[in-house]
Amino acid sequence: MDPVKTDVLVVGAGSAGLRAALAAAEAGSMVLVLNKGPLGKSGISLVAGGGMQAPFHPDDNADLFFQDTINAGYGLGDQNLAAVLAEDACARVLDVERYGAKFARTADGQYFLSQFPGQSYPRQLSIVGGGLALVSALSIACKRHKNISIMDDFFMTGLLNHTESNLVSVTGAIGINLRTGYIVKIEAKAVIMATGGCQWLWEVNDCPADATGDGIVFAYRTGAELVDMEMVLFYPSVVIWPVSLRGAFVHYEYLASAIFDGNIYDRNGKPILSKPLPMRDEAMRMMNQAIMDGRGTVHGGLEWYIGDSPKEKNFIHTKLNTDQYNYIRANGIEPSTDRIQVAPGAHYLMGGIYINEQCETTVSGLFAVPECAGNFDGANRMAGNGLTATQVFGFKAGISAHRWAAAHSCRYPDKRSVDEEVERIMSKITAGNRIGAELFVLRHKLRSAVQRDLGVRRSAKGLAHLLSVTDEVQAELAIIRVPHVAVYNQQLMELLQLEVMCEISRLIAGSALLRQESRGHHFRFDFPERDDLHFLKHTRVVSAEKRAEFGSIPIKYNG
Amino acid sequence: MAASNKNIFVKIVRFNPTVDREPRLQEYQVESVEPMSINSVLARILDQDSTLAFRRSSCFKGRCGACILRVNGKDVLGCLTMVSPGETVTLEPYPRYSLIRDLVVDFSQPLHLENERV
Repeated sequence: MDPVKTDVLVVGAGSAGLRAALAAAEAGSMVLVLNKGPLGKSGISLVAGGGMQAPFHPDDNADLFFQDTINAGYGLGDQNLAAVLAEDACARVLDVERYGAKFARTADGQYFLSQFPGQSYPRQLSIVGGGLALVSALSIACKRHKNISIMDDFFMTGLLNHTESNLVSVTGAIGINLRTGYIVKIEAKAVIMATGGCQWLWEVNDCPADATGDGIVFAYRTGAELVDMEMVLFYPSVVIWPVSLRGAFVHYEYLASAIFDGNIYDRNGKPILSKPLPMRDEAMRMMNQAIMDGRGTVHGGLEWYIGDSPKEKNFIHTKLNTDQYNYIRANGIEPSTDRIQVAPGAHYLMGGIYINEQCETTVSGLFAVPECAGNFDGANRMAGNGLTATQVFGFKAGISAHRWAAAHSCRYPDKRSVDEEVERIMSKITAGNRIGAELFVLRHKLRSAVQRDLGVRRSAKGLAHLLSVTDEVQAELAIIRVPHVAVYNQQLMELLQLEVMCEISRLIAGSALLRQESRGHHFRFDFPERDDLHFLKHTRVVSAEKRAEFGSIPIKYNG
Repeated sequence: MAASNKNIFVKIVRFNPTVDREPRLQEYQVESVEPMSINSVLARILDQDSTLAFRRSSCFKGRCGACILRVNGKDVLGCLTMVSPGETVTLEPYPRYSLIRDLVVDFSQPLHLENERV
């Protein structure tokens, strides 16, 4: 097993990872980017709408942006991170243009800025072609840079550590080259985690199946602290039926009186939402309550409907003539007239690997970028902060990793950490037929429990139930062996991914248990009030002696 | 043959270039009373046969191209292509890139087959 060597290793080729790679490479490091799917055709950034928040409006400024972010997050956002986000947003928007993506502009050539909820001034820029166009532009820039190599179809399974006088630092990664089946060891001076969230853990979500939270679990296993893992952002109207459209969403915002004046209806045609439209978190609780009261459709959802809109047909047609809605049409549903079955679904992970303003984690040599790192948002994220964060913190992480790599020589990974990881992977493979339960049965069991107990309504009882389901799934997973297939072993990938999903389910459930209050998107119906006295602080979880140790850390105040 | 109206019949070209001498055609049936996209048909088949390899990522907008493949001889996106109960479809990998296994191709390695250009 000859190791691959690099200065900076970036895990994940979404908008965060690619931006980090460019920053490190432009500073002079040799960079290797790992991606579990194909470049530009996998990852969560592809589904992003393309909004980026930055204070370009003449009356706007970084202070207002900072304050809006903290207010939207119910006071829980990390203020040091939110300050960096606000200060660097404009510069990173200009970088995005330098890399070749385009923003919507007005007739006189200014940035077209719209005002989204929570923004003091119009602050929302829009990338032409959405998140996909951002990833395409960054991909091309990375391919052109002589210091950057990209490895597609690489399924990472863990980090490599170097221990010196009891201090652990990260010194590379190990995983499977899916095209050959070989286990590959990568030695790196610094590693940047940019693997995104874990939305696929929920049965209803609007992300690709890649979103399994791998990087968060790898960082956790190696000793990195995680913060606010219970803070998951949900979206009210994710499509649940027909099956082919699962994962797509229709705009909740379009139901507003000023746009289509539609509503979400129960199965008897009774509207659920009041007007003006409630905030998203409140709307989702109303929807969830209606479903729990037995008012849902046979498929367990509610109906998003704008067919009786008083608005001009032309206006509706134009607004719904986008790739997103044409995709829905191609799948047999006409969004302007059909009743579309929707339910609240997982949209974004606000918590994640703890980082400081330099994107350093609590483990030396390991850096991380949102979405897999947290928590600048707090308990709710403003629209347009997701992509901005990938660019602001991607840049920071790239620079920090480069500096670390330039100051340190290559540290050999502990032989034990390599041997253990190789043995762990090999032990999953059998020369014969599959042993143990069907993976999809276990996957379904876990995801439906997460959907029910870790969704928009939570309680101590439900979370305890989820933990016992997770125990059962983990026990069954432990005995599964999959056949040896050298090339693109989808079963092995699925098995290892499901292990990660179980682990992250425990971490989120444990953090949600600890937060005995309701704040933003975290709603405990057994503790329905916000409790600043006891819970204006981050939950924290760290692996101690292979057990999860839950606790809290204070909110950081800016300055 | 009432049952056939509830089934979608799928033939998939299976091939692992590193061990197989030649491709073979494998047949599957997916139960459905409504039309389904090729992507969701494949997700169902994976539950029956987890040895099948195909790319599962999606942008949910019909734009990223991760699910491009050949359906009944035509190159299409699996997320935008519907198949109805009672129909039979034959799925092959997209031929312009080198094959990794089954329906998975290497998008970084175009084949440049001049005579196959459309």
